Amino acid sequence: MSVEVRARGLVKSYRDGERVVEVLRGVDLDVAPGELVAIEGPSGSGKSTLLHLVGGLDSPDRGELAVGGRALAGLDAEELARYRCQTVGFVFQFYQLLADFTAAENVLMPARIARLPLASWRRRAGELLAAVGLADRATHFPGQLSGGEQQRVALCRALLLEPSLLLADEPTGNLDPASGEQVFALLLELARAHGTTSLLVTHNPGMARRCARVLRLQNGALHELSR
Amino acid sequence: MRPLPLAWQLAPRFARSTRRDAATSFLSAVAAGGIALGVAALVLALAALSGLQQALRAEILARTPQLEIELPPGADAGRLATELAAVDGVEFVQRFARARGWLLAAGVAREVEVVAFSERLPRSFPDAELVAGVEGVVVGDDLAARLGVRPGDWVELVGARPTLTPVGPQPRMRSLAVAGLFKSGRTERGDRVALPLDLAAGLLPAGAPQLEIATGGLDTALAVAGRLRALLPPGSVVRTWQDLNRPLFFALHLERAVMFAAVSLIVVVAALVLVADLALLQSSRWRELGALAAMGAAPRELGRLFTLLGLIVGGGGALAGGLLGVVVARLLDRWHLVKLPAQVYFLDYLPFAVEWLELGTVLGVALLLTFLCSRWGTRRLAEMRPVEAVRR
Repeated sequence: MSVEVRARGLVKSYRDGERVVEVLRGVDLDVAPGELVAIEGPSGSGKSTLLHLVGGLDSPDRGELAVGGRALAGLDAEELARYRCQTVGFVFQFYQLLADFTAAENVLMPARIARLPLASWRRRAGELLAAVGLADRATHFPGQLSGGEQQRVALCRALLLEPSLLLADEPTGNLDPASGEQVFALLLELARAHGTTSLLVTHNPGMARRCARVLRLQNGALHELSR
Repeated sequence: MRPLPLAWQLAPRFARSTRRDAATSFLSAVAAGGIALGVAALVLALAALSGLQQALRAEILARTPQLEIELPPGADAGRLATELAAVDGVEFVQRFARARGWLLAAGVAREVEVVAFSERLPRSFPDAELVAGVEGVVVGDDLAARLGVRPGDWVELVGARPTLTPVGPQPRMRSLAVAGLFKSGRTERGDRVALPLDLAAGLLPAGAPQLEIATGGLDTALAVAGRLRALLPPGSVVRTWQDLNRPLFFALHLERAVMFAAVSLIVVVAALVLVADLALLQSSRWRELGALAAMGAAPRELGRLFTLLGLIVGGGGALAGGLLGVVVARLLDRWHLVKLPAQVYFLDYLPFAVEWLELGTVLGVALLLTFLCSRWGTRRLAEMRPVEAVRR
């Protein structure tokens, strides 16, 4: 299942001491269900901020944002948490795996949070790890895995509950080129296989071009680069 | 089956893994150890007080009438004694009178409380050794030793009822044999002597008649007191062993309450360390908290996770401290390890008695403090914006 993302006039600013930094200055965004969209832009341009807004981790100062036709404005903290749990899968640059849990347990974490029956989801976690070539690393802790392996675990974790929306924030930014390529290929493959609507923030123009559309965020506004 | 809430699933694992981080494990150990120490100290202090107070109570209550009735002037004490003896729970009723007097022996006079009794020596004169066939005054062993008199010796008892003579009022005096000695114990507040009512006739002021009542036990006495009041003529006063020792029991209760409050401060300080520990734990796991929030854990759920973590650390400390306190109290009591100078106290060792209700209260207070401090330590977490954790 996939969802449509629609944003109109998103504005977001931060206070940096006395200074107010306006990161997003009226961003419009339309992503069709199942579409894979790359967002690129210079550091500090607000790519992550946009991803956090779409993922319900933060709320815009102004503007409208709807995912799957449901407006995120006005949802309270509990409802936003439920939205993230049921709809969104996140992949972060620094993996953000839980150090005290094995690879398999990390992948299973969204099911724990959603309080789903763990037995069947444990099987699904095993299948996902096998799909990314980590079947034999399932019982290893993050500290025992390479960066590429950790990001593959994080990818499995993000996709466990088959989210309608995948948000990846520079998923290969902390990996060497070979590992980065492997993770990116897997991400594309899994997102396409599940028909997941995906928003991908990247600095890598080569990777961005392999997505269906590329948007560039500059001076607080989003521009279409290629379709 | 639906899994437990996230906090219950993750907190035990987080608690185990705090050992990996030197700073947090040190603070956790200090917090848990401090709470354990405070609870153990509290259990021990209260057990020592309980042991001492139980012994003191037993000592004092052995020398206190269970029930005392002061009848109004003109009441027929003999008839009432017969009526009250038939009341359920009453074992024995006897008439008695009490007044101040002096005991003279070998030229030395001691002020005493004179108790005149009917029928038999009241129960409040314990462990009496009476000389067969001798009728006279029963004296406390301590007073007898000080006056240098022994059973069978003659002493003089001076009553508070004067005789009017041409030269003014003169005290009445009677020579009496020492009929026996009772154990006065170390808690006697003054010297007492006892003698039969017929021997005391004329010596004591003609005061109101009084009755002393013995029942099956202390609790029975309290229950019987209410029933007796209904049978007595107006103006009668019923005093239970509680009424007769009220200031003492109040002092013991106060001592316990003050001790509880003072030693509880150790637990309070340790629980505050727990706040610092939880703050450090949150800081060290901030990035993981961001990941959990991104996966759909609500901030309040994360707050609950760390509150539970605090309860595991603090509760573990409280239970360990409770166990330590009980074991040490049992050992100290079993082997009489804390000695007391027998010349000063009525006991030669400090007894320890753990009262389970009190232990439950101590653990309850420690857990409540732990919970409150944990909630306080995680309040920021419950209000956090998930993006703050993700951005770090």
